[in-house]
Amino acid sequence: MAPDGILLAGAVALLMAGAVTAWTSANVTKRIAALALAQIGALAGLSALGAPSAASVAGIVAAFAQLTLGVALIVRLQETYNSVEAPELDAADALSESQSQNKLGDA
Amino acid sequence: MFGLFLDWARPHAALIVFAAPLAGAALAVLAPMARLAWLIAAVCAIAAAVVALDFAARGLSGGGGDGAGLFATALVACCAAAALVGAGALLTDWGPRAGRYALALALCVGAGWSGALLAPDLVGVFLAAETAWLASVALVALSGERDRGALNGALGMLGAGGVASALFVLGIGLIGRGVGTLQLAALPAVQIAMPGLAATGVGLVLAALALKAGVAPLHVWVGAAYGRAGGFASLVLGAVGAVGALAALVRVAAFAIPAPAIGAGVAMSLAGLGAASVVVGSLQAIGASNLRRLAAYAGAAQAGAVLISAALGSMAGFAAALVQLFAMAAVAIVLLGGGAALGGVQALHLLNGLGRRAPFTAAAISLGGLSLMGAPLTIGFLGRWRLIEAGVGAGWWWAAGAAIAASLAGVFYCGRLIERLYVRRAAAAFTGGDNPWRLALAPALLAGVGAIGLGLAPDGLLRAAAAAAAQLWDGAP
Repeated sequence: MAPDGILLAGAVALLMAGAVTAWTSANVTKRIAALALAQIGALAGLSALGAPSAASVAGIVAAFAQLTLGVALIVRLQETYNSVEAPELDAADALSESQSQNKLGDA
Repeated sequence: MFGLFLDWARPHAALIVFAAPLAGAALAVLAPMARLAWLIAAVCAIAAAVVALDFAARGLSGGGGDGAGLFATALVACCAAAALVGAGALLTDWGPRAGRYALALALCVGAGWSGALLAPDLVGVFLAAETAWLASVALVALSGERDRGALNGALGMLGAGGVASALFVLGIGLIGRGVGTLQLAALPAVQIAMPGLAATGVGLVLAALALKAGVAPLHVWVGAAYGRAGGFASLVLGAVGAVGALAALVRVAAFAIPAPAIGAGVAMSLAGLGAASVVVGSLQAIGASNLRRLAAYAGAAQAGAVLISAALGSMAGFAAALVQLFAMAAVAIVLLGGGAALGGVQALHLLNGLGRRAPFTAAAISLGGLSLMGAPLTIGFLGRWRLIEAGVGAGWWWAAGAAIAASLAGVFYCGRLIERLYVRRAAAAFTGGDNPWRLALAPALLAGVGAIGLGLAPDGLLRAAAAAAAQLWDGAP
């Protein structure tokens, strides 16, 4: 396999590993880190495919913006839920949703 | 005055449609009062919509342009203007400072998707789509000021959108290597050296846009985001974000499907995804217990019908896709705008007897529901009928079946909703907004009346959709 092919295969593997982790990890911080990993894989794939530099710059800008927003969300989640574990966030949301519907129904 | 504005704007129309909302966003954040910020945001959004409509009218009357892009840009700009006009009554969803940011982010969502629909190459589409998507995520997160569940919804959006973004970037690389250019207009005519790579790249780009449009079964983020976001955020998400992403998807498909080397594969993938979205979206809408989630899942079913229409790959198919896109936007404004006017009351069982308590809101929701069912003399019927015609014309009988199935499911879940509004009696006191003259209700009522009016007199819309579809074939080999 040509060096470009090996690099592309590695990039796709990195992207897939990041994507799967971003979707399955219970910890929000790990999810955001996995997203960054997926973006690095995508950018490495761009390099392996010889894409124009404009595409790489656009990818880097988007990845940086996502990471920034992700970190801001982690901070807000920790402040409001006192947790960054996804199952705990989901359980708290399910509880508050049922409570608010009951409250509106009672009113 | 109006003529002078248009004369000044015409030479730079594409730039103004994209830049006016962004400039408005900056000014809205700097405005000292929330009301002034809203006025600035509404004026900029309306200016962008007027220029986009004029740009589309001039572009569609000529030939050789980007018909799908022109048509959809005007649609997205008008949806953004409607949402921002209604936002004046929804500023209480946030504090004074957060309200300004919400208006600015909504303008960025509209500008982003307009940019994605006007960008000549895939890098431009990617950057504009990311701008819109990240603004949507931030807008939903901002709803966390009142309901912390919105933060969790925003997290789901960020995760799904981040994966979509990575796939989009890889898709750009594959298309660049396989086709040799990233210019969209070149796709139908260029000799594709590596069709396998190019088709995979187009597939990844379309999958990324489908995920952002909330097409089932890729819509993992939809339930939490729509269910917990505030009224204004969910209105922008459904009427601007989902419609813009779906329009960008149709536009990319419109350039890829006529390409001989990859067109058949792309069309089959789109058709499969569309059929799955109709089935999954309809089933989820039937099971929905919340008005916003019902609107989101019904939107996924409608998006599926749009994808099937585009997958037909014919002029009639693309015209049907554009008409359905219009119908989808109208229904999103009606259901989500009507829902926003109701305040915190979103659970379906709390809408019992709403027809007597809030007649204007109930009427708007009912008109949207009728269009969603595909009832005759509505814009929804027109869209479905065009899909059936195009499907039968291409020998895709199953596509006609999918349109009928979507309508039957719509009869079930919208019929149940309308029955709640007018037949059932309320078991509890109503705590939502019931002022018929609330500004928040204006876009929903207008869109509801438009959904019926354009169903009765559809000539202009059909001509515009047909002209847009015909332009796509000017660049085809």
